[in-house]
Amino acid sequence: MRIERLISGIAALAVSTALATTVLAAERIEFMFPAPVQGKLSREMQKLVKEFNTSQSDVEVVGVFTGSYDDTKIKSQASAEAGKPPAVVLMSANFATELAMNDLIVPMGELAGTANVDTEAFMSEFWPAVRPNAYFNGTLYSIPFQNSTPILYYNKDHFAEAGIKKAPETWGEWVDAAKKLTKADGERWGLMMPSNYDYNGWLVQALTMSNGGQFYNPAYPGEIYYDHASTKGALKFWRDLAQEYKVMPTGVTDSKQVSTSFFTGKTSMIVLSTGALSFVRENAKFAYDVAFLPRNVRNAVPIGGASLVSFKGTTPEQKKAAWTFISWLTAPDKIGHWSRFTGYFSPRQTAYDLPEMKQFIAANPDALRAVEQLRYSQPWIATYNTVGVRKAVEDQMQALLSDAGLSVDEAAAKAQKDADELMQPYIEKTAGALIN
Amino acid sequence: MRSDPLGRHMRHALYCVAVGLFCGIVLVWSSPFLWMLVASFRPDSFGAAGMASLWPDFTPTLEHFGYALEDGDFPLWYLNTLILVSGTLVVQLITVTMAGYTFARLTFRGKDLLFAIFLFQLMLAPPVLIVPNLTTLVKLGLYDSLIGVMAPYWGSAFGIFLMRQVFRTIPRDFEEAAIIDGCAWWQVLIHVLIPLAKPGLLAFSVVSVVFHWNEFLWPLMVINDPSKQVLTVGLVSFALGAEGASDWGLIAAGTLLVTAPLFIAFVLFQRQFVNSFMFSGVK
Repeated sequence: MRIERLISGIAALAVSTALATTVLAAERIEFMFPAPVQGKLSREMQKLVKEFNTSQSDVEVVGVFTGSYDDTKIKSQASAEAGKPPAVVLMSANFATELAMNDLIVPMGELAGTANVDTEAFMSEFWPAVRPNAYFNGTLYSIPFQNSTPILYYNKDHFAEAGIKKAPETWGEWVDAAKKLTKADGERWGLMMPSNYDYNGWLVQALTMSNGGQFYNPAYPGEIYYDHASTKGALKFWRDLAQEYKVMPTGVTDSKQVSTSFFTGKTSMIVLSTGALSFVRENAKFAYDVAFLPRNVRNAVPIGGASLVSFKGTTPEQKKAAWTFISWLTAPDKIGHWSRFTGYFSPRQTAYDLPEMKQFIAANPDALRAVEQLRYSQPWIATYNTVGVRKAVEDQMQALLSDAGLSVDEAAAKAQKDADELMQPYIEKTAGALIN
Repeated sequence: MRSDPLGRHMRHALYCVAVGLFCGIVLVWSSPFLWMLVASFRPDSFGAAGMASLWPDFTPTLEHFGYALEDGDFPLWYLNTLILVSGTLVVQLITVTMAGYTFARLTFRGKDLLFAIFLFQLMLAPPVLIVPNLTTLVKLGLYDSLIGVMAPYWGSAFGIFLMRQVFRTIPRDFEEAAIIDGCAWWQVLIHVLIPLAKPGLLAFSVVSVVFHWNEFLWPLMVINDPSKQVLTVGLVSFALGAEGASDWGLIAAGTLLVTAPLFIAFVLFQRQFVNSFMFSGVK
């Protein structure tokens, strides 16, 4: 009798302690993030995570560094498939479409619903240009966090020396300036653009858009416009800069090479992400400035950068915790701080109304140019099998830069054919079939 | 008699050409390493005029190492990598010795088929196994642990193959003598075969340690907890720049810190390593 009581007493005690610990313990979630522009940003990100963890006691976030943008996609998908879906992942902004299409991530409404937040009202505080990449079929799947556009950086000393008064605004002016700035025998190049994977496709898209094109069909992820006049013009323009006007090195140029040769004065103009702005500001030991990407038909650039997504298969408590973290991280003061630290522009418009942001912009007018260019920004390529479709044109662009004998028509046709083949499975299920 | 001096000249010339050729090959092979060494001590890492040069034309600075040590938690990463590498190796040595012995000496039904299945493992590209292996780790509760990183390597097909070959080169006379003296099979293994197979085990250990020390993708997949991070992933966390940044000095210093222990170990034990490779025929 007494023993039974003792046992039940112990059991009750055990149950209540267990309950108490579940109530008291913070909900632990994982936040996977890639290396953005520069290594020291990974450290800053861990600092932000720590600040969040000490600011409240309901949620404990574990910051997990996950390598490059592509590694981040592989790792988060693999852990989700293995049954450990990460609650928050900072993902390349154009991957959200594909992840949503494959039913791997949760609509943001499901997370925001746990805090009774209306996502439409929430998103209205973000720049219109960053919104399309966050949606798939009218549903919000990601929250933009760090965004960028391609922008022209130029060495003002070199411009003065060559007698160029202002930054080029059109492709014609751009070629003229580059010719004047180039010195013989590779001593100095007029212009350099990164042509390694990922950067390459982004810049082909930027040039195509500046050439009047749309590049892909934002409404239907099974269509890409490679073998079209605007893209062909862009491929030809980039090819000619290297092969015809000889103002740029031939072959594939890595983004690290581009920034290094700009800093050493070996090149006068470069096209890089606005996300590299703080990095350039800290390391350029000469007068530099930034300008809009020159236009041919119109001013237009694609959005780049990364957004926050949440994988399927998490518990309701984890979803709630994920939203707590996402809303903290994207609050105007935090997202603004991150923007000033990195050089990415803040996708949340309201961040620019804060006094510390106004002060920063006044002191660094180059940061404003990235924001001004937003007026001309459009969504980033997002299709079925985005990476493969993007690589189809990158391979051809790289071939054009390396092989002077390859014709633009051939290259564009090949890129189109490869991309179409990759999207065929999706087309067969959608536009190519009767959908019930 | 008259043609001999000419022959000696020829031989001498050939010798000089050969030495020159070897020096050239050594220079080509070592230039990335030399560049890394020079760049890690170069004061201006974002591109001074001579930043591509191999010649140290500057007063060396330790600031990049300072940044690297401040940026990265190197003591922790060294410790974790050491645990990972030694934990993998210790179990591997036991399993490959036993399995190698089994395939070399014992006879049982289906032995050849079983061996073929083991060899098949060598033909699989590791990325294919990422998701299945992760799923198994989650089920075993080993996800996000160093043991989880080690586990898939505990049955090394390469090691088993190597040890089988090594055991087969040892004449059976030794074992038979030991058995006549009253040894059980495990005593034969411990007292006779393993001492004779030492060079093979050493060769396998070198390959295993170098491979796991340098591995990036699998630890990246398994480990989430920053306190369990290993060197390679840690190095990337501050050396990788996605959108055009290039801090060459820091990258070089960090890489040097990661490779230094293996490099020093190799220099110290060079003779033993080379001998063991010569003996076992592994290149």
